Amino acid sequence: MDAHRQSEELHERARAMVRAFEHGAPMPETFDALAVDLDRFQHAHVEGYARLCAARGVDPRSIVRAEQAPAVPTDAFRLARVFAFDEVEARVVFRTSGTTVPPRGVHAFRDLRAYDAAALAFGRRMLACDVEDRVPVLVLGPDEKEAIDSSLAHMCALFARAFGALESADRTFFLRGGALRVDDFRRRVSDLARTKPAIVLATSFALVHLLEAIGGEVLALPEGSRVMQTGGFKGRSREVAADDLRRAVAAAFGVDLRSVVSEYGMTELSSQLWEATLVDPRAAHGVYVEPPWMRVVPVEPETLAPVADGEVGVARIEDLANVDSAFAILALDRVRRVAGGIELLGRVPGATPRGCSIALDEMLAPPGLGR
Amino acid sequence: MSVQTPDRMASLRRLLAAAAKVYQDRSRIALEVARATGLSPEGVEAGFGCLERDATDAELRLLIESAGEAERVHVILAANVFVAPLRALALALAASSSVTVRPSSRDPALTRALVAAWGDGTILVAPDRDVATVGGGEIHVYGRDSTVAAVRAAARPGVVVRGHGAGMGAAIVSQRADIDAAASAIAEDVMLFDQRGCLSPRVVIAEGNPARGEALAAALHASLERWGERVPRGVLDESERAEAAGWVQTLAFAGKAWIGRDHAVGLVTLGAPLGVPPVGRHLLVTTRKSIEEGWACLAPLSRFLVCVGTDMPGHFEATVPGVRVALLGRMQRPPLDGPVDRRSL
Repeated sequence: MDAHRQSEELHERARAMVRAFEHGAPMPETFDALAVDLDRFQHAHVEGYARLCAARGVDPRSIVRAEQAPAVPTDAFRLARVFAFDEVEARVVFRTSGTTVPPRGVHAFRDLRAYDAAALAFGRRMLACDVEDRVPVLVLGPDEKEAIDSSLAHMCALFARAFGALESADRTFFLRGGALRVDDFRRRVSDLARTKPAIVLATSFALVHLLEAIGGEVLALPEGSRVMQTGGFKGRSREVAADDLRRAVAAAFGVDLRSVVSEYGMTELSSQLWEATLVDPRAAHGVYVEPPWMRVVPVEPETLAPVADGEVGVARIEDLANVDSAFAILALDRVRRVAGGIELLGRVPGATPRGCSIALDEMLAPPGLGR
Repeated sequence: MSVQTPDRMASLRRLLAAAAKVYQDRSRIALEVARATGLSPEGVEAGFGCLERDATDAELRLLIESAGEAERVHVILAANVFVAPLRALALALAASSSVTVRPSSRDPALTRALVAAWGDGTILVAPDRDVATVGGGEIHVYGRDSTVAAVRAAARPGVVVRGHGAGMGAAIVSQRADIDAAASAIAEDVMLFDQRGCLSPRVVIAEGNPARGEALAAALHASLERWGERVPRGVLDESERAEAAGWVQTLAFAGKAWIGRDHAVGLVTLGAPLGVPPVGRHLLVTTRKSIEEGWACLAPLSRFLVCVGTDMPGHFEATVPGVRVALLGRMQRPPLDGPVDRRSL
């Protein structure tokens, strides 16, 4: 079977998992079954992955479980091509935030259907499962057309189209040319009908800027509204502790604290993690859950072996919707498996300087937007 | 020549004599240095070899010219290799006869030893001196960019802050260089201070075709292996080990990696973007068709570049202002003719 057909088939299998999740049906196959086939496909068609497997002494023919597959470090997306098709076939290219030293990480897609299906299905479940009708969606972020290489902008636009009341871009996206349109946002909130909840999608830095701009003013959203926040600060604004920001956001929008939910995604992934406070009364803020086609495994940073539950490791993330790139990636984020999900503990801190050699984290300090 | 110059020359000669004395008695502080720096005992001994104990008059005159004049100088040592206090004190003494120094809290041994060997109390060690209390003259700060910025922000108006930040080195190996000799020299530059210095090469560009790059990478691996036996790498902390493991995985994907017990060498193909490796004896090798292309591919890193090592230094001297150019194997031993870091921060 040629690469294109194999890819199509794997995409369809990933989407079948997503559909089963949406319908509450049993998964059509096990996580490992699809992971193993993705691993073989990626080994055959992503040159760098074949090299990584060889260096790790892993023969994809002998793999029977996802965890046996080497994970691709996120840096590889900056330094090499991580896709299983010809460059000319790329339909969409997402890029990581800019850093002071190029290049940016590149995640190219030939087919976005698995990405869109996965993002929508889990996003709907975690953010809008009780929303029966189309509702106003307000994005404190740029229109997708303004940020064509941002996976976050794509996801927000996707949500706006799927959940939203089909408003114009001006009434949906409130960041233009890097500037927050605070007055327009204020007017839009005051115009909202009080009979339907609204959904606000925002990066943490945009929320901080909004809060600073409105001072103590309350921009009350209709009852039942909810706010998705995502991304760190990445030098764009003063850092605010997650709990403090959540409380301030809840107060500013007049929503319940549990209606402010965080999402975690990366350019290098096709699926996202979410806090479950909106859908699970037992869920705690700071604990993220994965969809069934995604797994986060905390691993020991040197040996890459899984650590015990409750211990901190770096994030090995397996995402079955990453069909044409790398289904297993290794991120330099610290994570811990706890009851109910995964805690995200931030980047691995840079080494304490013991000389005047420039540290990687200093060199790569990102000046830019989220993912 | 300033009227001060003979006095300053005398001070510098006296400081070099103090350094020679400290070097003579280095066993007294070697253990403390090893503990603070994480270097192996052999690494400390090798590092001591880079402590300046002599200089020509011409070099010292250049140093004095580069230092300017200051009423007094307060030196802050925060992040530097352990022999750096000598040059820091030399620059301070070249600018002023009134010098105070705040040693690195983690690694104060050499500073204290130099001041003790200096002897007459005219250089004062001031470990607790607050920047805001420095009432005039200059502050020379050696540390991360964030440390330099913090000192600038805290300094009183009118106090001149000269910042010496973090950086890195790179090596360019011309087509005419002997591969084994170049590899051996670069490996020595990498071994010293376990690559934690701003002169330490992290990236190597080979002029020529990919096969030459691969041959150089293999030769570097062999040279670093030999250095590892003579001068074992010291301790990497948890973050450094994690960075190193991630880098090796990335290299295995993006190119090719040679992994030794105490080092790793990565190779990426012609034209591939450069990813700088972490410290701890990790090198990235790539090839470019010409020296000019090699230099051009370093452009994204230029603001971090303190030193370029090459087998043909004359080719670069005129073209790279602000960057020290050294022969391969001499990158860690710049003449005592001014600050190691010539960038303006």
